[in-house]
Amino acid sequence: MVLVEEDRSKSENNSNEKNADNSQYECNICLDTARDAVISLCGHLFCWPCLHKWLETRPNNQTCPVCKSAISKEKVIPLYGRNCTDKKDPRDKVPPRPQGQRTEAPRNNFFGSGLDGLHVSFGIGAFPFSFFASTFNITTENRMPAPAPGSTQYAEEQFLSRIFLIVAIIFIIWILLA
Amino acid sequence: MAQRLQKELANFMRDPIPGMSLDRNLVEGNLNVWVINVDGAPNTLYEGEIFKLQFKFPQRYPFDSPSVMFIGNKIPEHPHIYSNGHICLSILTDEWSPALSVQSVCLSIVSMLSSCKAKSRPPDDERYVQTCRDPSDPKKTRWFFHDDSV
Repeated sequence: MVLVEEDRSKSENNSNEKNADNSQYECNICLDTARDAVISLCGHLFCWPCLHKWLETRPNNQTCPVCKSAISKEKVIPLYGRNCTDKKDPRDKVPPRPQGQRTEAPRNNFFGSGLDGLHVSFGIGAFPFSFFASTFNITTENRMPAPAPGSTQYAEEQFLSRIFLIVAIIFIIWILLA
Repeated sequence: MAQRLQKELANFMRDPIPGMSLDRNLVEGNLNVWVINVDGAPNTLYEGEIFKLQFKFPQRYPFDSPSVMFIGNKIPEHPHIYSNGHICLSILTDEWSPALSVQSVCLSIVSMLSSCKAKSRPPDDERYVQTCRDPSDPKKTRWFFHDDSV
């Protein structure tokens, strides 16, 4: 009788130890035994799907959930146990969401929209030698593709170039009359 | 999420925090809302008082923090606890991490209560209680944290 009880208490101890052992390998997020385990450089264990979800939750502030050290996809190490049959990197399993695409807005140079990249300057030097010191300077960098004929931007550009032409003609007439 | 809550419940039952016990009646059937009875710790200003602490778990728990507040007619008088039960505690919003749990939040709250030197309400209590966005959900408030001493 005593022997049996001893046995039982022994087996209870064993199961307790087993539980304690397992809990060492629990994911810090789902509290289950880590699946597709990865470990951070600060030494904390996670399931890769759990950690990935957390990194996605705060993409601008990726910190270790346990110790708040900086963390990233590249800075975690996949763990492979002996009987792990699937040797694929767990980080490849949850496809990282593609990065958002963004392109730089074209810089507005000096006339606001419609004239990007096109510098126009009129200058009067010693008349009449350099009367047309006008420079038409087309910068190629950052230049947007020419707007398609018929689009509103095309119409605007046409309109602007006509205004410049009129201004230039008025200016010349004024110079001649004065 | 349900599985994690089950595990947290098991952990909470296995290693209870002194002075905190789960209000059984309110947990059964609905794992998303827990009510915890908090006994003021002995040798603190709250000795002998009993409070009720409510946890509401969002769908995305543990990636989102739970909504935690005191409920009932006894709200501890503390410089970081508003009289509507809302608690000003950084780990409940900005500093939340999925590695935290009901137990760690409870511990923070117990230590917050225990380290209190003088009972008082937050300085902006009256204004906040009248103007907060949602009296039943402290997470709707934008919290600013400034005082680390208590």
